[in-house]
Amino acid sequence: MKGKVALAVAGLMACMVAVYSAQAQSNGSTIENPFRGVMQDRSAHSEDEALYVEKCSMCHRRMGMGTVLLARRMPVAEAELEDHQTLSKAYVIIAARQGIGNMPRISRAEVSDQELERIANYLASGGGR
Amino acid sequence: MSDFNPAAWRAFASVIGSEWVMSSDDDRHAYSDHYAADESTHAPAGAVAPASVEEVQAIVRIANQFKVPLWPISRGKNFGYGGSAPVMKGSVVLDLTRMKKIEVDQANGTVLVEPGVGFFDLYDYLQNNKIPLWISVPGNSWGSVAGNALDRGVGYTSYGDHAAQICGLEVVLPDGDLVRTGMGAMANSPVWNLHRYGFGPSWDGMFCQSNFGIVTKLGMWLMPEPEAVAGYDFEFDQPDDLGWVIDTIMPLRRSGLIRQSPSIGNWLRSAAVMTTREEWTSDNGPLSESVVTAIRKRFNIGWWSVQIRFYGEEEIVQASMRVLERAFDNKPILSKVPTMWRRGDAPEGTPMTGVPVSFPLANANWHGGRGGHVGYSPVLPPSGDLAMAQFRRTYALYEKYGMDYHASFAMGERSLTNVNQILYNKDDAEMMGRVDAMFRELVADAKAQGYGEYRTHIDYMDLVAETFDFNGNALRRLNERVKDALDPNGILAPGKSGIWPKGARA
Repeated sequence: MKGKVALAVAGLMACMVAVYSAQAQSNGSTIENPFRGVMQDRSAHSEDEALYVEKCSMCHRRMGMGTVLLARRMPVAEAELEDHQTLSKAYVIIAARQGIGNMPRISRAEVSDQELERIANYLASGGGR
Repeated sequence: MSDFNPAAWRAFASVIGSEWVMSSDDDRHAYSDHYAADESTHAPAGAVAPASVEEVQAIVRIANQFKVPLWPISRGKNFGYGGSAPVMKGSVVLDLTRMKKIEVDQANGTVLVEPGVGFFDLYDYLQNNKIPLWISVPGNSWGSVAGNALDRGVGYTSYGDHAAQICGLEVVLPDGDLVRTGMGAMANSPVWNLHRYGFGPSWDGMFCQSNFGIVTKLGMWLMPEPEAVAGYDFEFDQPDDLGWVIDTIMPLRRSGLIRQSPSIGNWLRSAAVMTTREEWTSDNGPLSESVVTAIRKRFNIGWWSVQIRFYGEEEIVQASMRVLERAFDNKPILSKVPTMWRRGDAPEGTPMTGVPVSFPLANANWHGGRGGHVGYSPVLPPSGDLAMAQFRRTYALYEKYGMDYHASFAMGERSLTNVNQILYNKDDAEMMGRVDAMFRELVADAKAQGYGEYRTHIDYMDLVAETFDFNGNALRRLNERVKDALDPNGILAPGKSGIWPKGARA
């Protein structure tokens, strides 16, 4: 619960600056509107990270479906997989292929075994951070 | 269930390589509908994933030879409509996700995409190449740009009627022949993706929601980055406000002042994405008035909310804002918040400005655990009274079946699409029974008014097709005649949109 709120507020704050600029009207209330400031960082600093961005980050970076749902079950600081401290390679591969919770299974056409191996290594080794 | 010669798998592998012929249990599961309570109903036999149009053609020829039913998907993210699963159990999914070419015509504001290109892919491509064109994204932007347009998906900007932005297709026909539509029918046409029509009949619409061909390239118009985007987020306090709000906005929609399709939706839209039901109540029945009040307070929203945006040169956007303000003068709004973005500002970061998103999919977790939703979306005339009547009838059915009302009315140029999401817990068999019964009653209720669905789930394609009943379902007869002419072996997506090949008809 706490994590969820923090996530929504973080998303909101980033956008408030941009949205309520010249014409901003403030009545002192804050709209916790998830439809603002949801753009995620799509940058990458290695080939493996670029692969992660292409295949996973739409759900597993900021304001992705996976991040929103994981923040319900773990500290918000670890809800983004790249910040998660204890991901094993095997776990990543099983979660992707078997699906988990509301995450659908990822087919081999979408992410080949070889690509999944690289992504799992990237996450298990700390997401490059 | 289809039953075909297993030698077909080897034939597919000989063309695309065994790596891309997928028929293990894991593979079959990967292409099932993960929102379904019983995934076996539409379980595919496996999948093949070609990387080029030539490979698609070769697969289609093999499918004809071995009478293998193919179910083409672009990226398979059509969640709420069946995902990547076929109507007919035992079909082979033809997964086009590996076809990812993007060709942008920056000067003219168009793109030619292959089916595997997702909204995030196209967004990244435009950003990385600093191309000042904006995309229109749907609430689930994980999916395919082409696939979404072909299923008549919608987005938030003035380019949000995605099927209407299609300009030119490349299509593999069910016999393996390859055609290009519109001006693309001329070899090397420089206007294939610029001019909507060619010479003679135009066929682009024929490949939307159909099973008449496999689209391998799709031309689409994109919005040149506007000088400014401005608008209002309106909140309204009472359920009965729906009617007058629609009657206030629609004249501006008809006049062309508002060029996106404003979608007025209820309080559950935010709550279902950002929270789970158990945070609000442990009652199983419909959400009480006190819960609705608590949700509204937490998100500081009305019973209904609508966001309106103008795109273009700043003077015009500012003038449009004034006309909009005038239209709502002295009307009982709960609140209005203006938004303004100018070129050069930091990105606003919303789907309204073409930023792809996936978080709306989190509403599958509304009931906790593994969930999903099914869409019920009848189209009605753009009248406040009719919208109110539709809302009341539908709301009563949500109450009757003990489900939580989640709805919006998207205002098109001349129609309303009443998009309802029935959110469920797929592991609750009793609830799933109610959902199915409710869906069928909703379709019948709309039909009684003369309203039909704009799109539907694979479970209900026959049901919805049946409601298009002018002259004894003449449309079905036409579709079947076309189907038989183009696809005599019935290999392409049997049952899609209620169109079945010879020998498989009810």
